[in-house]
Amino acid sequence: MNTKIILIYISTFVLGNVYCASDLTEEEIGHVIEGRVFPPEDPNNSNWQLDTRVHVNGGEYIGFVREDGTFVVHNLPSGSYVVEIVHPDYMYEPVRVEINSKGKYRARKVNYVQTSQVIQVPYPLRMKPVTKFRYFQVREQWRLTDFLFNPMVVMMVLPLFLIMILPKMMNDPETKEDLKQISNLAKISDVPEMSEMFTKIFNRGSVPKPTSSKAKQIKKRQ
Amino acid sequence: MGNLSINLKPNFMGLLKCLNSINWFIVFFSLINLSMCIYEDQIGKFDWRQSYVGRIKFAQFDTVSTARKIIVATEENVLAALNLKTGQVVWRHVFESTSSGNIQLLHLSDQIITVTGSNPYLVRGWDLSTGVLIWEWGLTLQKNEHTDFSEWWVQNGLLVHMVPKFGSHIEVSVYNVATGHNRGATSKLPAVWINEGCVLSPPYYTCISGSPGNQLLLSMDVTSDAVQIISKPLAEYTTARNANLNPFDTNTVIPGFLLNEKIILIRGNKFEAINIAVSEPSASVALVDSASGPLVLQTWNDEAKGFTLTAHNLVSGQRVNEIGWSDRSLSIPEPELSAVICTKTAREQHVCRILVTAADDASHLIQQEGRVLWTREEALANVVAVEFVDLPVSDLDAAIESEFDQKEAAKMHSSVLAAFTRRLQSQFQQLQGAVRTLLAGDAAAADEPPPLVRDYFNLHKIMVLLTDAGKIFGMDNLSGEILWKLYEPNLNTEAAVMFTRRSARHPPHDAYLTIVGKHEETGNGLIVSLNPIRGTPVGEQTLHLDVQILQCAVLYKADAQKLHALILLDKDENVQILPESSAPLVENMYMHVADRSSAVVRGYALRHDGERVSAKNIWSVDLSGGGSQRVVWSVSKPAAERIHSAGRVLPDRSVLYKHLNPNLVLLLTEGPDPVHKDVVVATCVDGVSGGVLSAHVHRRARRPALPLHSEHFLAYLYYNDKQRRHEIATLELYEGPERWVPAGAAFSSLRGARAPHVQRHAYIVPAAPAAAALSATERSLTDKHVLLALSTGAIVELPWALLEPRRALSPAGEAREEGLVPYAPELPLPAEAVVNYNATLLRLTRIHTAPSGLESTSLVLATGLDLFYTRIAPSKTFDLLKDDFDYYLISVVLAALVLATYSTKYFAARKMLKMAWK
Repeated sequence: MNTKIILIYISTFVLGNVYCASDLTEEEIGHVIEGRVFPPEDPNNSNWQLDTRVHVNGGEYIGFVREDGTFVVHNLPSGSYVVEIVHPDYMYEPVRVEINSKGKYRARKVNYVQTSQVIQVPYPLRMKPVTKFRYFQVREQWRLTDFLFNPMVVMMVLPLFLIMILPKMMNDPETKEDLKQISNLAKISDVPEMSEMFTKIFNRGSVPKPTSSKAKQIKKRQ
Repeated sequence: MGNLSINLKPNFMGLLKCLNSINWFIVFFSLINLSMCIYEDQIGKFDWRQSYVGRIKFAQFDTVSTARKIIVATEENVLAALNLKTGQVVWRHVFESTSSGNIQLLHLSDQIITVTGSNPYLVRGWDLSTGVLIWEWGLTLQKNEHTDFSEWWVQNGLLVHMVPKFGSHIEVSVYNVATGHNRGATSKLPAVWINEGCVLSPPYYTCISGSPGNQLLLSMDVTSDAVQIISKPLAEYTTARNANLNPFDTNTVIPGFLLNEKIILIRGNKFEAINIAVSEPSASVALVDSASGPLVLQTWNDEAKGFTLTAHNLVSGQRVNEIGWSDRSLSIPEPELSAVICTKTAREQHVCRILVTAADDASHLIQQEGRVLWTREEALANVVAVEFVDLPVSDLDAAIESEFDQKEAAKMHSSVLAAFTRRLQSQFQQLQGAVRTLLAGDAAAADEPPPLVRDYFNLHKIMVLLTDAGKIFGMDNLSGEILWKLYEPNLNTEAAVMFTRRSARHPPHDAYLTIVGKHEETGNGLIVSLNPIRGTPVGEQTLHLDVQILQCAVLYKADAQKLHALILLDKDENVQILPESSAPLVENMYMHVADRSSAVVRGYALRHDGERVSAKNIWSVDLSGGGSQRVVWSVSKPAAERIHSAGRVLPDRSVLYKHLNPNLVLLLTEGPDPVHKDVVVATCVDGVSGGVLSAHVHRRARRPALPLHSEHFLAYLYYNDKQRRHEIATLELYEGPERWVPAGAAFSSLRGARAPHVQRHAYIVPAAPAAAALSATERSLTDKHVLLALSTGAIVELPWALLEPRRALSPAGEAREEGLVPYAPELPLPAEAVVNYNATLLRLTRIHTAPSGLESTSLVLATGLDLFYTRIAPSKTFDLLKDDFDYYLISVVLAALVLATYSTKYFAARKMLKMAWK
């Protein structure tokens, strides 16, 4: 019994191969895919029919859009086809059209991942633009809000807020003492004199750095 | 204070943990942000596009609509309208590239009528002014071999289709043009005298028939109701033994034909020989209507006078002097009159516009007195191979370079003083140059084209394009301007290859580029060597070998003239070295040859035995898999590739070493299978030892295509028949955590046979890919990106990270840390990743990439029906300031800061002083 099934299985396979190898008969060829493309809603897109191309299976068969948006792709043998509407600026969703050997049509959404999933769409096809392609980055413009919410700026402003405003809000004497220390620590030394800077550069290391030693002392005390 | 920190601590740790867990999310999004889209104002800044239509098959002037155009139908199955004044494409329709898109007829009336395909046929009508389709209908005939010879024409608003059945009869069908209604059904006209040498001059079909010596010239109006045959003995018109019939190239007046070098018209059911001699057997003859009666135009390429055109009045036989001319400067090989229009001006002068198509596929629109209005190099619609060639450095830079060249310096300047004066000299020259550019300003620089010297970042190059027609072009990559062109009529460019054998870096030697192709007629090797900067022949020039070439390569070692020798392996397995003197340099050289149909790959070792170089077949691999498979693609690594790192650092601080075999060849084979319908096999073979490193089988898959190969990774596309989608398979080869050879040692294929660890994945490509390429940079520091051209006309740039075979389905902790994107079966193809934005490229065939002097930037040229050039920066331009860098703002901010510093210092000093006084 089992061998029989296998035999039948093999024979159907062989038949299938022969069928595929034989020339397509007259009835096989000459199916058409019909549909209509809806123009993008763009007032200065007058000759959209010229830019719009109908590709079946990635350009294996090509259809052209008429003035009213209808299109026909001719001379297709029965099979499964992906119909794409190609427009440089607008995206259209592709549709899979299946034509069986009896000439029955079925149109469904293209799903490359779950190929067996069927979500039917009406046939003849009605292709509507989904979105406009966004090819370009938008140039950044200088805005005050962008500047203020920049993380670097926030990082600078927040400690300032902590140092300047918090002590006034808190009247606890102990914390005041602490904050005094912090402000001592954060006390910005004088803006360097040009000549001083040069001397520092030229005899590096020989001049002791008073600020750093002070900071060390503070640390020790803590 | 301490209290506060204790309270904060657990929260902070939690935050850290949280951050760690979303680490890979951050990596993932940062990858998405990698998409390299350009700004809208950058359109055309780094890129250009040139649109072509292909070699013109039919052309007609549009005299009806207001915008003057030429409507052309081409060999590339394109219907297009060209602007009469500029030659630019106004609109274009591209049909299928297969035989179903073949254009059989182009007819202009108040609309454009085309017939395309070869049984089934499609008849279409297009709007003459806008180019939009108006109507179409299909026609399918009974299958037979005679339909290949069928002819179409439009007569009195009816479409006539004629199928001759040689030695039997003619079938004629007449259709209503717009609807396809068959008017008079199909009529069969008995005609036993027709043969393959017959010509059609609508509506007459003319043949030479009969036994030799007793031949008849027969002609028949195939559309008339009553069958009438005009028959005359051939001897009345010609005494030549081999009588040949030829149609006119353009005929808008009276039915007629050429009998050898005689013009014969058919008027009133009679043959009428015209007393105008055809000057040359190869001349292209056209009959055109003009205001002063019909004209006979002839054009040919005279050996002495160059391109020549003459015109005669058909009625009087007088020569029309104002139209004829000859010009030596025009190089139009084998000119053909595609379309002619003649009008008369107020001063009773003929004004003709002549569209000439040459054997090199170029089309020229020529006006009176030989003024060429425009030229379209349609050979560029069919580019076969591209090579990017570096430009020579400028004289000044060359002088500096030679100054610091150690050997040169030792020779030229023995003393310190001489070197010093030379240094001063070149400094002075530099100063002069700087002053000159400053004085000249921007205005002068914009006017004259930039000189052909290398720029600072080596972004300016010459692209050498080899076309199917045998024409070679040198093109400026920045402007797309053609710098030189060279036509090699005997060059068959099928499977032709190009090698840069010497770059322009070695003055006084010229750059040297060699094209290895086949001879058009004999199929033997034809080698063309030229200077790619100027397009002049150098070295071997054009060399015609007397054997067929099996394989060719360039020797990796250069000779004393810095020239890399060309190694040719011919059909008899003999080796030729060009130049001969380089033969002693051949050492450790291996070659492999894959036979397409038998799928056998053979490896050869080349040895120099003191006198000559011989090739020895050392291995062969049979990939036929029982005879059904055939090799579709064979791809090895790019020759000039550099590798930046030998491994990948894993999260546990160990290194995963890449298998960097420079001899690795990827072979894609395809064939039918009794169980799985079609099978695709990808085999990695070592090109030196012949060892198979890995093999992968894809069942129920077809059309393997577009292999990519670089460093340790490989990728190829195929069509999954079962799921009906395109998939890309990617492979990465690793040696493991330990190196096979110590660092720094050269790789050897012959040392031990260890199979590398292969990681692989397949991804779904939700589109139909047409071409693929990998970005190439100078030192391979930059990320590799894959450029994928789609049938929709877009080129998508994908980071290799998305194609990586190490992407796990759900990455565990370590993989997350490494920054691997979790596996997703479908590749995202976002619009932002389209490098050619909305400049759709039709029928793309190949993408070529080349490194520039900037590490971040890779140059890209896409070829197909259109040419598109751009540059991409896979890791963004990290070594270059952005072009929108705001110098103004940054200097203002800097100045303001300095000012603020010193003013606050002043105020602070004043305050201190005041405090002290208190």
